Amino acid sequence: MPEFKLISTPPLAGYDQTFGATRLHAPADLAIVSLAFPLGDENAALAAVKSAYGTDMPEPGRSVVAKDGARLVRLGSDQGFVIFTHATPDAERAVAKQLNGAAYTTDQTDVWTGLELAGPGSRAALERICPIDLHPDAFAIGHAARTVMEHLGTLIIRTDDHAFLLLSASSSAQSFLHAVETSLSNTT
Amino acid sequence: MIINHPLLGPRDAAEFIYLGDAALIDRPDWQAEDAMQQFHDYAYLRDNPAGPHQELWYHEQGDRSWLVVTRDTTTHDITDVQLARDVARSRGRDK
Amino acid sequence: MTQTNRISGGQIDRARSISFTFNGKRMTGHPGDTLASALLANGQRLVGRSFKYHRPRGIFTAGSEEPNALVQLRSGAHQEPNTRATTVELFDGLSATSQNHRGPLEFDLMAATDLLSPFLSAGFYYKTFMWPRAFWEKLYEPVIRASAGLGRLSMQDDPDSYDKGFLHCDLLVIGAGPSGLMAALTAARSGARVILADEDFALGGRLNAETLAVDDMAGADWAAQVVAELAAMDNVRLMPRTTVYGAYDHGTYGALERCTDHLADAGGKPRQVLWRIYSKRAVLAAGSTERPIAFGNNDRPGVMLAGAVRAYANRFGTTPGQQVAVFTNNDDGWRTAADLAAKGVSIPAVIDSRDAPAPIDIPGIRHIRNAAVMDTVGRKGLKSITLTDGQVIEADTLAVSGGWNPNVHLTCHQRGRPEWRDDLNAFVPGANLPVGMAVAGAANGALTLAAALAEGQATATAQIEALGFTPTKTDTPRAEDEPSTSQAFWHVGESRKRAWLDLQNDVTVKDVKLSYREGFRSVEHLKRYTTLGMATDQGKTANIPGLAIMAECTGKTIPETGTTIFRPPYTPIPMGALAGRSRGTDFRPYRLTPSHNWAKENGATFVEVGNWLRAQWFARSGEKGWRDSVDREVEMTRNSVGICDVTTLGKIDVQGRDAAEFLNKVYANGFAKLPVGKVRYGLMLREDGIAYDDGTTARLSDNHFVMTTTTANAVLVFRRLEFARQCLWPNMDVHLISTTDGWAQFAVAGPNARNLLRKVVDDGHDMSNEAFPFMACGEVTVCGGMPARLFRISFSGELAYEVAVPARYGNSMMDVLMQAGKEFNAVPYGTEALGVMRIEKGHAAGNELNGQTSAHNLGMGRMVSQKKECIGNVLSQRPEMIRDDAVKLVGFRPVNRSDKVVAGSHFINRDDTANMDNDQGWMTSVAYSPSLGHSIGLGFIKRGDERMGEVVRAVNPLQGSEIEVEIVSAHFIDPEGERLRA
Repeated sequence: MPEFKLISTPPLAGYDQTFGATRLHAPADLAIVSLAFPLGDENAALAAVKSAYGTDMPEPGRSVVAKDGARLVRLGSDQGFVIFTHATPDAERAVAKQLNGAAYTTDQTDVWTGLELAGPGSRAALERICPIDLHPDAFAIGHAARTVMEHLGTLIIRTDDHAFLLLSASSSAQSFLHAVETSLSNTT
Repeated sequence: MIINHPLLGPRDAAEFIYLGDAALIDRPDWQAEDAMQQFHDYAYLRDNPAGPHQELWYHEQGDRSWLVVTRDTTTHDITDVQLARDVARSRGRDK
Repeated sequence: MTQTNRISGGQIDRARSISFTFNGKRMTGHPGDTLASALLANGQRLVGRSFKYHRPRGIFTAGSEEPNALVQLRSGAHQEPNTRATTVELFDGLSATSQNHRGPLEFDLMAATDLLSPFLSAGFYYKTFMWPRAFWEKLYEPVIRASAGLGRLSMQDDPDSYDKGFLHCDLLVIGAGPSGLMAALTAARSGARVILADEDFALGGRLNAETLAVDDMAGADWAAQVVAELAAMDNVRLMPRTTVYGAYDHGTYGALERCTDHLADAGGKPRQVLWRIYSKRAVLAAGSTERPIAFGNNDRPGVMLAGAVRAYANRFGTTPGQQVAVFTNNDDGWRTAADLAAKGVSIPAVIDSRDAPAPIDIPGIRHIRNAAVMDTVGRKGLKSITLTDGQVIEADTLAVSGGWNPNVHLTCHQRGRPEWRDDLNAFVPGANLPVGMAVAGAANGALTLAAALAEGQATATAQIEALGFTPTKTDTPRAEDEPSTSQAFWHVGESRKRAWLDLQNDVTVKDVKLSYREGFRSVEHLKRYTTLGMATDQGKTANIPGLAIMAECTGKTIPETGTTIFRPPYTPIPMGALAGRSRGTDFRPYRLTPSHNWAKENGATFVEVGNWLRAQWFARSGEKGWRDSVDREVEMTRNSVGICDVTTLGKIDVQGRDAAEFLNKVYANGFAKLPVGKVRYGLMLREDGIAYDDGTTARLSDNHFVMTTTTANAVLVFRRLEFARQCLWPNMDVHLISTTDGWAQFAVAGPNARNLLRKVVDDGHDMSNEAFPFMACGEVTVCGGMPARLFRISFSGELAYEVAVPARYGNSMMDVLMQAGKEFNAVPYGTEALGVMRIEKGHAAGNELNGQTSAHNLGMGRMVSQKKECIGNVLSQRPEMIRDDAVKLVGFRPVNRSDKVVAGSHFINRDDTANMDNDQGWMTSVAYSPSLGHSIGLGFIKRGDERMGEVVRAVNPLQGSEIEVEIVSAHFIDPEGERLRA
């Protein structure tokens, strides 16, 4: 038995608040692994993604949910994220194994902190910090965008009619939470 | 300003970092006979047109792509936006 | 006071009363009132004193163009100066005070200034206060400062909150008057996403202020009906109380929404929101602003714009007075007479500058043709007017109309210039509009109702068709075009008394003529010389008459004279709204290291490094100052082992078949042949050959590297690498992603570092010096299977490692390392001890990599490979960059060991005079070295590497210090590197 044991303390762990009928919470065990498609072998990488997740890698700015619940997000022509629930610190290995070396993988789990915003007040709150047009005609379910909110780089994904997943850098998690909380309390 | 990103659509210029003249793509051959002179010109000399200008913008708060934006410096009218990587390839840049 | 001036009608809610105070006097009004309409209803005519001459002034307009009625609103910390009473929506408990007087408003002690007016003409500052020179600071400026300015700040922190936001639409409609409502309705019915914004709290614009009918109903009722239809539509956002204040590039507009200003208590919500509106198209339907005619003593309380008088009567059920005379140069002024007469207000006369029959038939009206008002009487309120033929007419109110100016402001925010229309005697928008903008209604010169409605509809139709929408058929509402001819008549030349143009800045016709005589004839010079058109109203009522008078002087036309450039904002924006949330600790985001909580619990003092908060030192009880703590941290680390959170260093994951070759191009030294499992120090140059950044890069596998950068340059290096990858070598298979926040990384340094880590790193990883030597790296597991990365690198010069675990385990890892280190007396150390140890070891950092120094200066010239293509190597070989007598980085120690070396000191040879000609270099970094027991420094000095042992002077005239220092190796500690290889 090792003498010492490490305890996981993600920055926003356990955060869960409601503002009117809108809920803001930090999803537990959110794992993120980035994919980069090798130059010249993009098709092989995309095929590997399809066979691993049963769904095509979407176009840039879009995401899809695979059969196993993992969300595939395409961030650019040669880069994407796999976002899934995974408690142990081996998310990268799990994805790499499924893709069998067809894409370069990097663990991004601890690079980011996640907040889920769900409820009728979501969009009005986000209008205060998000420069992206979140009207459902312009930003439908599954749409994803990297942008800047309150000086913080943020990845926003629409997961439902009134639900968004927001990812921002974990080191500035407290400032990020404050930005979203303030937006909610200002609009609720 | 709004920059119409070729992959992601219109985005606020606040998401981007401005670098300057897209001539910076045309990095000289380090082994050329007059490499020193060419690199001097590359590092220090820029056109500064009042009018259409091809310039480099970096989508830092976005997909991290470098873009070549053709912008009229007198009106901010943007007439063309391309991925800098495509431009670099079309100008014959390789490894 | 009672509401003596209330008359019938209006859109106020007479069933409810609102109590408010003005200068402490209790008054009542009704919901729907502005502060101005309520003051007028209560018979309060004198509302303030003018800026320069402290002249008594009253309410002049009924809108945001108001130059006179500026009041201080609310009290205490909530007090806001220079609030326009004409736009303040009345709320229960409102308190307002008048501005710019000493003593009571009625008996301003500063009013004597008015008697000095012959000495205070335009430009008097420049002329009067030139001499004696010494008087400026001691006498003139304090006196001027005390007497200048309008309202007063509370001098307390603003207790209100503000916010910002982003909105998107297909069509932004600016202004909700007849043309704006028609534009919004047309677009909304067609399915376009519409934002309709208006500065007023009641949408409808002039329809609310006029008695004109639309579709056979009162204009205000028609407006309410349209607003109700729009409000029920999902694709429409109605924004009353919202001023679109600026037109920016590519359809972006700035708007200020006043969310809670009309409430007694904001309820904790933001007072105002500053919106950035992204529109695909816009219709500017901003209406028009009436202008006055200048004549003698035309600034008395009771002299008002005719359209405003009509607005108070029709919309607010208030007459500004009991005897309302009208002075006009156009048909529109007549409607004021007609509307007030219809409500039973006495109209002593309508004075028309034109020799023409009455455009509107008003029974029993006294019409004085081809005449003008020359002077007025009544110091604190109008009593009578004197016409040019000398006849005196008693009146307590004079409604003046000099015609209407289309509100072209936003059309000019992208350098567009307005064009003059002779038929309107006004500027209208020019052809060069901001991208996506079209103009409709009065703002476009369609000054009559039927024309405005039709133009609003047609303009919106064209705008949304261009976006691909098919307009739904909408009938144009029935309305008539009211008579609207006008005459170019700007001021009454017969007037002997001062004729005011700019009421806010006390600029008279005479001042404009003086400006002309003294050569300030361009409009921009006129503005600066006379202050015409400055301050909160930006001359909305004053500019055109001022230009007309300058045009008369110069003999040019008004369009030849031109306008000053219109810039945002259209009306003032509070500083609080511009700041938004960015106040106090929220001024900018902050970043925390993974072990932040541990550090906080263990006595750390934090320092801001960029956005990061880093532990600077960990004080222990009994330590008297930071030096005690830092010295101890250094000593304990060098004697046994210390631990430091170094997560803030930038980490970039570099992968790809060409990753090694790519690194070889971006670093000046070689990386292509770095073996797997090894780390190498790398130096990056700028293309001009100057050193840019440094760090270590580890090769984890053939195609996988981890680069570290300095904390400060993490973002910049990433940007440069992406540039190299995408723009310079676009066909390399190389991929970059930042992992800075993903790994909690700790330096474990000191002779016991290995012993400590052996307790944490899982069995099976050979930690021996042979198996894991200096500059080794590898993926390991710690604490029973936790994936970790181990690097044997040293910034301190000790036997040292950096160990990284997933960031969420970082706080726990710090705790574990300290527990495991207990038996070795392990110490946490902060950035100060880190800095001391790197100076002792002679490592360059930010002070040395300052953007002016080359690899040659840093003593790393030979690292710059000339055998490969890499950024900066060509220009690094320019003769000037590699000259023999270049400054070199070396160490310095005081000859007298008790002397303290000072950063920024310049080196002067022993026998030379201390001046820049004899400058030998400069000291970059200094520290007290606990290991050596004296002060040490790093610095650049000419040929430093050849001058070991020489003594020079370190001179710092700014701090008044000069000491003798000896040139030594930069490696104060362990120059042979035995410790770090142990």
